[in-house]
Amino acid sequence: MSIKKRQQRRDTHKPVRPTTVSSAEILPLFEFSQIVNSSLDLPFILNTLLLTTMGKLMVSRGLVMLRRDGDIFEVVSAKGVSSSVAGTRLTIAEPPRGNILLHRMTTKGSDWISFLKELQQAVLHPMISQQRIVGFISLGQKISGSGFEKKDLELLESLSNISAASIEKANIVEELKAANREVDRKLQQLNTLFDLGKEFNLGLDDERVVRLLTFSLLGQIGVMRYVVYLRQNDELRPVAVRLDDRPPLSEALTSLDSLRRPALVSDLHGDDQFKFGAASLHAIGIEAAVPMMIQNELRGLILLGKKLTEQPYSQADLEFIYSLGNLAIISIENVRLFREALEKQRLDDELKIAREIQQGLLPQTMPVIAGFEVAGINVPSSQVGGDYFDVVKKSDQEYIIAIGDVSGKGMGAALLMSNLQASLRALAPFESQLPAATSRMNDLTCANTGLDKFITFFWGILNVETSTFRYVNAGHNLPFLLRSDGSVERLDRGGLILGVMKTLTPYEEGEVSLNVGDTIFLFTDGVSEAMDENGNDFTEERLERLLLEIRNASAQELLTKVKCDIEAHARGVLQSDDLTMLVVRRT
Amino acid sequence: MTDFKINHREGDGVSVIELKGYLDAHTAPQLENAFQTLLNSEKYNILVNCRDLSYISSAGLGVFMAYIEDVRKNHGDIKLTNLSARVYNVFDLLGFPLLYEIFKEEREAIGRFKVRPRS
Repeated sequence: MSIKKRQQRRDTHKPVRPTTVSSAEILPLFEFSQIVNSSLDLPFILNTLLLTTMGKLMVSRGLVMLRRDGDIFEVVSAKGVSSSVAGTRLTIAEPPRGNILLHRMTTKGSDWISFLKELQQAVLHPMISQQRIVGFISLGQKISGSGFEKKDLELLESLSNISAASIEKANIVEELKAANREVDRKLQQLNTLFDLGKEFNLGLDDERVVRLLTFSLLGQIGVMRYVVYLRQNDELRPVAVRLDDRPPLSEALTSLDSLRRPALVSDLHGDDQFKFGAASLHAIGIEAAVPMMIQNELRGLILLGKKLTEQPYSQADLEFIYSLGNLAIISIENVRLFREALEKQRLDDELKIAREIQQGLLPQTMPVIAGFEVAGINVPSSQVGGDYFDVVKKSDQEYIIAIGDVSGKGMGAALLMSNLQASLRALAPFESQLPAATSRMNDLTCANTGLDKFITFFWGILNVETSTFRYVNAGHNLPFLLRSDGSVERLDRGGLILGVMKTLTPYEEGEVSLNVGDTIFLFTDGVSEAMDENGNDFTEERLERLLLEIRNASAQELLTKVKCDIEAHARGVLQSDDLTMLVVRRT
Repeated sequence: MTDFKINHREGDGVSVIELKGYLDAHTAPQLENAFQTLLNSEKYNILVNCRDLSYISSAGLGVFMAYIEDVRKNHGDIKLTNLSARVYNVFDLLGFPLLYEIFKEEREAIGRFKVRPRS
């Protein structure tokens, strides 16, 4: 083919058979071709086609159908017939590739033929571009009443085919425009997610996060009615409501608890699991439900009412809202975790201070007491219990030996313990009557603490000249007195725990005399209740057996051995309470 | 920080809000406050001039949506003017021209409010 011929072909898209069209008609055809080819405006092209053919062939009625899907054709333009036919969709199975004179067709089995006949159409012609039927043009009778001649039909064919190429071109442009718009819309959605993600990263409070979420629902999707729920204390609570009715009842929501993916309420109706919830949502105009998930757990829910456009929610809408919701819930969760971490940090700091207070209250060095050995140990737990022990010189002959356990843990226990130490040290030099002093300490503790705070306390005065030990036991674990002959006594005289109630009955005083080799072993419940990995206590029985075995050891050795045995018992278990022991041994 | 400013002026029974800069999730609360302030003082004829608005996100659009019902319930309206092509495209994408009247210039919009308070 010569360049010239190829050029011609491209210009006209579909070669017009020049032999069958008279020269007088070529010029108008060329003009028509130029007009429709220069336009990408579909309505304009169709209008020009209809008006030109109707004018040329002197026809008063006509319409154009364009192919939609498969064999479905839609009436897109009509003249001389009711404009209400526009939009009518017809199925034309095996669409004819040449013109059809309708009066020769039987209507049997073909709706489209009867439809056209009703509109007084006489001839139908396909519009073919690149072997493909893009639509049909149909015309009524000529005004003159004469039938269509060969040259009429040839002109119709020429005009149809010229238009077909332009229609195809305009269709492609329309598709591109639609695709472009879809890309723009997706881009806008991504921008929205990015915009919110950026903002949510600032660690906003829940309220602000939800507010931005709803703005995006309003702005991006055009949702005018919605409810946003967040799970608080295991219950879905509405945190943002824009509804004409009351938000749905919690029972309705419970049935949505296992919702894992966004869903249309109309789809939930068919699912037994969600049927109940779906019915009550439908009743208040909710069309879609979107869960907010964290690790496969429903942490929030977005219920969506009608869209501004009244269009149903598309899968793409739901996916977008799902992403948006998850972005929001993750931000809310992150803020919560951050707050928790801060709170934990604060508690850790407090514990550290409590531990420092506690350690500061314990004697740093033991006084040297002629004829006696004294050894003490305190192993604080991570929680900081309220254990306390003390050895204070009262006079040349007398030493105060004390051990106590304050209820509770942490800062509260440490402060109460410091109170106890202060009153002990204040009273010790002046008070030689232990029961009276204990009563005063009890009354002080009662006055200064709440009902939930108390102290188990044991103290005594060791007289080094007489080798006697007078004591009061205020509800503390009974200390062991290990006699050198192998017998065991428990120091049980005293009275009520400190801090429970004002002293009514005076405390009782016990007195024992200590022979050479006798040992007093004082301890807190952290010792007897030290647990092994199966949850079994160390027990006082085991402690007693052990003490009997090692009763001849020095005070320090005795402590070390007991500690080792407890550690062996509680291996691999986190120490849950302070562990305190104090040993006094006559040498 | 994103740059966003709101200027408010009163004239001819219409409250004019001029937006400048980036209206996104971060700055949306500012516009929200501006609308809320107008509603609190019962000013329902609101004209938003977007001449210097360089960007609007869907959170920004959401603020318009959040207030339009209240405003119209009180016989007022929110009308928009002087949208740049870029900003208009976002409005258009999300179907806003169906809901809001958009004008080229302020003076075209000002005459279109229904109820004019007596001054």
